[in-house]
Amino acid sequence: MPPYPTGLVPDKNQVYSPREDTFLLLRAANNEILPADTVLEVGIGSAYIIWNLSPCKLALGTDINPHAALLAHTQGVNIIRTDFADGLKKYFSLVIFNPPYLPTSPEERGDDWLEFALDGGPDGREPVNAFCTRILNVLNDSGRVVMLISSLQDFSSCEEIFSKTGFNYTVVDTEKMEDGEELRVYKLTRKNQMIF
Amino acid sequence: MKRELNDILCCPVCKGDLELVVTEENDVEILTGALICHACSVTYPIDEGIPNLLPQNTTS
Repeated sequence: MPPYPTGLVPDKNQVYSPREDTFLLLRAANNEILPADTVLEVGIGSAYIIWNLSPCKLALGTDINPHAALLAHTQGVNIIRTDFADGLKKYFSLVIFNPPYLPTSPEERGDDWLEFALDGGPDGREPVNAFCTRILNVLNDSGRVVMLISSLQDFSSCEEIFSKTGFNYTVVDTEKMEDGEELRVYKLTRKNQMIF
Repeated sequence: MKRELNDILCCPVCKGDLELVVTEENDVEILTGALICHACSVTYPIDEGIPNLLPQNTTS
C-alpha cells in the first residue's frame, strides 16, 4: 500500500478519473437500481458513479485511498475509508464495483495511490477474487452485484471465480474499445440463499 | 459522517459493534470523533467527517 499522506488536502492526480469503464458501469447500475435499494460502491475513486446514481434509499461508498475519500466527502457523498467493505454490516441490496484490473507484476508496483487503484495483481484478477470472497458479508440475501470486467482479466477465469465463490452471473452490458479490449458488466446474485 | 450510518458500521477485524464517541458535530454530520471496538481494544478515528475503518496497525 502506498504511504499515507500527512496533510488533509486531496490530490486529484492520485484519484482515478472517469473513463469508458466508469460510464459503462454507471449505465448498468442505473438500469439495475430500484428506489428501495441500499447501495454500496466499493472503491469509489472520483465518486462519479455514486454522484450520478438514480435516487435510492441509501448510497454509500468506500475507498482505501485517502485522496478519493476526501474528494468524495467534499461532494457530500457518504464515504467510509475501509478495505473493500470490511467495516460494514450485512445491509446492502445493490453493490457496485469497478475493480483495479491492469495486470501488474510486483516489480511494476508503484508507491502511488493512482497506480494502486489500477493494480490488479499479476493476472489482473486478484481484486475480483478478494471482492467476491468478502462481499458476501455485506450483501443482503436477495442482493445483487454489478461489476465491470475487462477482457484483459480473461472473462472465463473471472466467471470461474464467480461460481467458485458462490455467485450466479449474467452479462448485462458490454462495450468494445477501439484497441480491441472488451468491457463487460456482470450482474451477480447469491447462488444459494441461506435458509435456516 | 451522518450519525445514522453508525448502525451499519462494524469493526473491520472482528465484525463486532462499535461505540460512537462524538467530539465535534454540525447540523449535517459528525466531523470528529471515534469508533471504539471494545472486543479488540482498538479506536478507529473519525477525522474531517470521514470514519477510518482500516486496521489501525497499518495506518498512521
